[in-house]
Amino acid sequence: MMRLIMGNEAVALGALRAGMSFFAAYPITPASEIMHLLAEKEGEIVFLHAEDEIAAIHHAIGGSLAGRKAMTSTSGPGMSLKQEGIGLAHMMEVPLVVVDVMRVGPSTGMPTLPSQGDVLQSVHGSHGDYHPIVFYPSSVEECYRVTIEAFNAAEESRSPVVLLSDGFLSHLAETVDLEAVKVEVKPRTLPPLGRGRRHFTGLLAEDGVPRTKDTAYYREWYARVKAKMSAVASSYRFFEYLPNPGAEALLIAYGIAFRVVLPLRREYSLFKPVRMFPLLEDEIRAAAEAHDKVVVVEMNDGQYAGEMRKLLQRDVLSVPILGGDIRLQEIRERLHEL
Amino acid sequence: MNYKDYVKWERMPSTWCPGCAIGTIFKSLAYTLEKLSVPREELVVVSGIGCSGRAAGYFDGDSVHTTHGRAVAVAEGIKRGNPALKVIVFSGDGDLVGIGGNHFLHTSRRDVDLTVVCVNNGIYGMTGGQMAPTTPPGEKTLTSPRGTAFAPINIQAIATAGPRHFYARASVYQVNHLQQALREAIEWPGFAFVDVMAFCLENFGRRLAFKSGHEMLFKVKADFKINPAPAGRLADNELGVVKHGH
Repeated sequence: MMRLIMGNEAVALGALRAGMSFFAAYPITPASEIMHLLAEKEGEIVFLHAEDEIAAIHHAIGGSLAGRKAMTSTSGPGMSLKQEGIGLAHMMEVPLVVVDVMRVGPSTGMPTLPSQGDVLQSVHGSHGDYHPIVFYPSSVEECYRVTIEAFNAAEESRSPVVLLSDGFLSHLAETVDLEAVKVEVKPRTLPPLGRGRRHFTGLLAEDGVPRTKDTAYYREWYARVKAKMSAVASSYRFFEYLPNPGAEALLIAYGIAFRVVLPLRREYSLFKPVRMFPLLEDEIRAAAEAHDKVVVVEMNDGQYAGEMRKLLQRDVLSVPILGGDIRLQEIRERLHEL
Repeated sequence: MNYKDYVKWERMPSTWCPGCAIGTIFKSLAYTLEKLSVPREELVVVSGIGCSGRAAGYFDGDSVHTTHGRAVAVAEGIKRGNPALKVIVFSGDGDLVGIGGNHFLHTSRRDVDLTVVCVNNGIYGMTGGQMAPTTPPGEKTLTSPRGTAFAPINIQAIATAGPRHFYARASVYQVNHLQQALREAIEWPGFAFVDVMAFCLENFGRRLAFKSGHEMLFKVKADFKINPAPAGRLADNELGVVKHGH
């Protein structure tokens, strides 16, 4: 059955389809509709309107430890607060989904307007080194599908997976046939609390025993966790590549920016990463090799373009649209200026 | 189960200093778990950061050592995720009512069925001895070298603000009373806060000319008296249980 729904609703419905039964969040524009829809499900799921964003992610960590698939949702200001919990979940290896519906920052910024300014925060926001899996859909149908996959990746990697959205996509209404979306739902992987003698800690630990002065063990642990994240990510290679044989330039765009540049596919080749991190190294390299120019169009000051330069080790052009408004005409003009 | 079965002996000796008060509270909780026959598979101990925060790892059930101040938030998530679990928070005053103060305000307001054991030594001990929200007025610490200018936080007032509440003040000297308070708190079907008057020798008392943990223990004895049946709230020098509503 076709239904007209918004991106935020699709995220909430996708989470329910994935078997999420614990949701904690704090209201924030433009993410609140996720909360509103899930509040209606209280009783069927554990729903918690927390006192702040820090509490919300820590509630979700507790809910996940207790045996439930858990999620929290927010926007940039709340994402900044959640970074502490994201680090804890990485250290304790707790599966979780964190939704960040991006708006213009820093700070309170322009709360109702979209941006893609949290791309680097989503991967480097917490202190220390870690390797998160980050997804960013670009349509309402994809919001639904990728939310389910985010839960799958969280379970398989036992880590907090970030699902990016933006103030535009979150309120974009499109018709979707949810039943027609076929995605396997992966089962829980973390045995729930109450089974014995496990100690979860934010300290570096080996089998629950802190190893806080052991550099050699830290490096060994780090290599293991990094390899685990890469291995899990390798089965979530989501992207869209629209090659154009005549095109001189490859445009890389994601989320709502990809939707806006889509009409340019007759002049350019287009590449949309849905798995933003870890970078789709092979796919992006292969697409870039076939083109003289690589251009990243994004609603920030060139955050992903910097990542592409590091990856490709070549000149990557940047069309930073910044947050607020995004128009095809402006992008077209900026591309011609390059 | 014997109280010793609640302890991860392979983790001993603990990180706590000679003369520290935490061990007495830790052992009292283990005794109480024995008295109440809490099955290990139902027990989850949650802590934050600080010297007391290390206690979670010494209990021989499942345990979670969270980030600084977040023990109550994680514990609420665990309890709501699986209400069959007996969830006990064991942490310090700086963790629970300083950095974690907002979670204390709201989880107590929501009357979540948790037991919170607060090792209240009036100082940030692990980080070297800085002023806590509980430091007595005028006391000199590393961050109040001229003496604390502020009144300490009124934990009792916050914990008893709601229509249903449980607040106990106990001490590391009056151990029978402490264990009685812990027992009542664990049996209480809502949010129960046990505020245990403790001390820190190494990073507080030593600088105030206390020569041993024993001396500080007797200061606790001198400072607090048990009120077996408080009429309303406890006076500042009273130990006792204030509960209402369940």
